[in-house]
Amino acid sequence: MFCTKLHNLNVAVVQAVRKYATPSRFYKKSSILKSDGKFEITLDQRKLKTPKGSLFLVDSEPLALAVATEWNSQKGKIVQSKMHITTLCNTVLDNPNNLTKLDIVNYIVNCLDTDTVLYQANEDEDLMKFQITEWDPVIEWFNKRFNVKLKKSVQMDVSPVSEEDKTTLIRHLMSYNFASVNGFLYGVDTLKSVILTLAAIDRFLTPEKAVLLSRLEEEYQCGRWGRVEWAHDLNQQDLQSRLAAVVLFVYFNSQSMKVQEKNKP
Amino acid sequence: MSKTHTLRGLIQELRYAIPDSGLKDNLAFQYIVEQYRKYNTTDQQLCKAREEMDFIANSYLCYLRSSRLSRQIHDEFHGKGERSVQDTARMVGFKLPHDPK
Repeated sequence: MFCTKLHNLNVAVVQAVRKYATPSRFYKKSSILKSDGKFEITLDQRKLKTPKGSLFLVDSEPLALAVATEWNSQKGKIVQSKMHITTLCNTVLDNPNNLTKLDIVNYIVNCLDTDTVLYQANEDEDLMKFQITEWDPVIEWFNKRFNVKLKKSVQMDVSPVSEEDKTTLIRHLMSYNFASVNGFLYGVDTLKSVILTLAAIDRFLTPEKAVLLSRLEEEYQCGRWGRVEWAHDLNQQDLQSRLAAVVLFVYFNSQSMKVQEKNKP
Repeated sequence: MSKTHTLRGLIQELRYAIPDSGLKDNLAFQYIVEQYRKYNTTDQQLCKAREEMDFIANSYLCYLRSSRLSRQIHDEFHGKGERSVQDTARMVGFKLPHDPK
């Protein structure tokens, strides 16, 4: 009898097909509202809320417009995992991990120890050449821009970043606001490189180029072994949209909206 | 890429993103065009370089385009559940025992 019960249970488990909740689009049009100098998103007459249930508010108009465009571009189903700008805003508003700005900055600076562009593979001569011509100028720019002395390495056992340099970078990152620092974190996790993220946000590299440099070895191997659309192209486009979202997010959160005109007629 | 080229690309991507309604009364579209007009020349403005706006416009273009392409590839290749025995057999050119020869 016990056996039949167990058997029934197994059948039930197999038959219960997991249905992921992807809500269908329930609104016609998404737009923005200005209230108290901040911007809200509307879905028809409803106001957009964060996953924790608080009101979705952003400081900058273009950012709000970008979020509204994301919601407008959902067809049929609402796929929130592909709405990177909305996701970033939600993370900042809800702060689900209860992180402080200093926590995030420390995490980012510690990622510098394992930065992709600082570790160059020397097994393959052609790849080494690519790394030198593509990555070295970025490292050089980074050292000049932030006044640090990072050195690349071809071995695994060297810690290339001194405490002094880390302090310099902590000071630089702490000058941004909480939202922007969250953007940096997302960018570092996307590219696996602090140097490339800062280069993209500082407008030294375009998002496309930064993603290319981050995937340099993959791209090199693709050139030798062939390219598969559902792996390499998907990965590339996904990373590009993530990084571009970060660049926009940090830009809109850190610029001052005051524009002074020289001589207004 | 020239600036008009970027603007054209942005408008095209917005059309892909929001296909049903016309763009004329879309706020994002209006904002972009307004910004383009405003930063047409930098002589009148302090603080913001023209290249800065161009970079941001290109980043947004990259965002819209890459999001669309990644979604397209995902939709094309994403699995639609498990194949039946018959489908699997057909893929490798076999027939099931009870199928007609």
